[in-house]
Amino acid sequence: MSINPLVSIKDLKIEVRVTRAKRLSIVDSASFEIESGKIIGLIGESGSGKTMLCRSLVGTLDRRGAYIAAGQLIFDGIDLIAAKQSVWNEIRGKRIGYVPQSALAGPNPVMTIGAQLAEAILQDENFPKSDVEKRSLELLNIVQIRRPETVLKQYQHELSGGMKQRVMIACAIAQQPELIVADEPTTGLDVTVQAEIMELLKQIRKDFNTSIILVSHDLPLINEICDDIVVMHAGTTVEKIPSKLIKTSKHPYTIALYNSRIDLVEPKGQLKTINGQPPSVGNWPAGCRFSERCDFVKDKCRVKQDLPLIEIGSNHQTSCLRYDEIAR
Amino acid sequence: MPYLMKSQALRILIGRLGRALSVSFWVMVISFAIMRIIPGDPASARLGAGAEMEAIEELRKTLNLNGSIFSQFTNYVMGLLQGDLGTSLQTGRTVIDIVSSTLPLTLYLIIFSTFFALLLSIPISTSIAWYAKAPIVYVFRSVTAVILATPNFFIAMIGILIFTVRVNWAPVFGYDPQFPQNLKYLWLPILVNTLIMTSVISRVLFSSVTETKEEEFVETGIIRGVGRRRFFWFYILKPSMAPTVVLLSYMMGTMLGATVILETIFSLPGIGRELVNAVLTSDYPMVQGILLIFGVITVFLSFTGDVIAYLLDRRVKI
Repeated sequence: MSINPLVSIKDLKIEVRVTRAKRLSIVDSASFEIESGKIIGLIGESGSGKTMLCRSLVGTLDRRGAYIAAGQLIFDGIDLIAAKQSVWNEIRGKRIGYVPQSALAGPNPVMTIGAQLAEAILQDENFPKSDVEKRSLELLNIVQIRRPETVLKQYQHELSGGMKQRVMIACAIAQQPELIVADEPTTGLDVTVQAEIMELLKQIRKDFNTSIILVSHDLPLINEICDDIVVMHAGTTVEKIPSKLIKTSKHPYTIALYNSRIDLVEPKGQLKTINGQPPSVGNWPAGCRFSERCDFVKDKCRVKQDLPLIEIGSNHQTSCLRYDEIAR
Repeated sequence: MPYLMKSQALRILIGRLGRALSVSFWVMVISFAIMRIIPGDPASARLGAGAEMEAIEELRKTLNLNGSIFSQFTNYVMGLLQGDLGTSLQTGRTVIDIVSSTLPLTLYLIIFSTFFALLLSIPISTSIAWYAKAPIVYVFRSVTAVILATPNFFIAMIGILIFTVRVNWAPVFGYDPQFPQNLKYLWLPILVNTLIMTSVISRVLFSSVTETKEEEFVETGIIRGVGRRRFFWFYILKPSMAPTVVLLSYMMGTMLGATVILETIFSLPGIGRELVNAVLTSDYPMVQGILLIFGVITVFLSFTGDVIAYLLDRRVKI
């Protein structure tokens, strides 16, 4: 653990209001840190709480009727849980950029691309209005959009999926934020476009020393560009591991995720899948939440208990009880 | 408007204009056909059973019912091009003359109530949809549903009961066609109509905003840190307005005929009443002329509504 990380999340617990009295835990005990200039991959199946964790970083949980119930969430010394609107105004769009889920989103349909870039650029109140267009073109060049002059005048429906996502990245980096939150930025895009977007994010990190938190359910895809991988399962962070060491993972879930990739180079016949379904929110098993699906499960895994992340190597933490017995 | 210069937008608008013109043409054909496809002879229907042959023949000539259907149509179109919509059989005045003295009242009624309905609906719908507090949404839905389910003449009668009978703020009848003075006679019907339109429009706008606010780009806007005013316009209202605008333009058209009830209750000399009178007295040139004008206005309104919707939101297919 570094001494002064950019973002520090500790035992974060996110709940959602179902009815007036009923509360449902979506995330509990999520813990990890993001260091300056690092790309962190947040991996997990649908419903593991990774999207909600992202939303807590940008303060839009309440839009989904969710809130932070406990834990710590600190961005560069600022307590984001207690942050007031005025604090968020200084952070959003300035110090934290956001790239939305590609499949659903994209730029605002009723504004030209140019208008949206201008909006992002003018978040800096002192920016001279006369330079907005120049800066817009510069940003579009950074995200490698061809014919940027034309794109400025276009609307989102005139752009391809990959271009929309490039525009969103351009908006996100307008103020050179310290952190970019990218929530499944390439889901639903062509494989080649996915690779290009990943390459672009990598380039941005290199050029601006931006930390990026990259949410995905595609481990092989993001393992290429991330420094560290944080694996989430059923509302908990189960492992944090440097991406180089992914093959030596000490958590059966990570191993299973990694093994279920489709290997295009050497087709080996049978595709490996993970047993069963992810436990649904509210029906998490006591003890290890992966126990129902795990190949290595023992009785001690099923006992009701807290499973904190255990430091087992440099930058490598796992919550598996049997980590020292697991070998591939 | 720089975006009008863009060839794609321009092409779409010209295409839509072409459609409006072709619909106008068919409106004209239908209004021409009305007198000729009704069962029986319009002239003898008008003059009654005991009419003399000469009188009927004379009227047929005035009504342009002699000669081949093609030459009748040519005469009709030539007349329209010269601004001649025919002459009322009942009063002997030209149709144009009658329309231009009664249409403004109806237009005042429609335009004012549309304006106020929009003015009310926008803040009501957006705030209720945005904050989505269950009890308030429930009240909003119930109140608008009750207003929608109540016939407009009933709401008008309640209005008269309160404002004319109880407190005497509105005159019982009479009209002054001069502009600000006419509002003295029109404010109560405008109020009643506004109430009804508001409940329709605010419901549509409410559901659009409810849909819009869930969209991912709204969240992106919040996280980008967009200021309140910009956010309200570009992220809530503008993306939600298109269905409302289209509905409004359609409602304004249909209301031309529907205001007849309000005009009758408030004893206002509007065009709706004129149309009903013309139908009752078999005044065919009047019916034909008024229908043509209603048709053209409706086509024009829906064209304008579609164009505005398209300019607001390019996703709209027009």
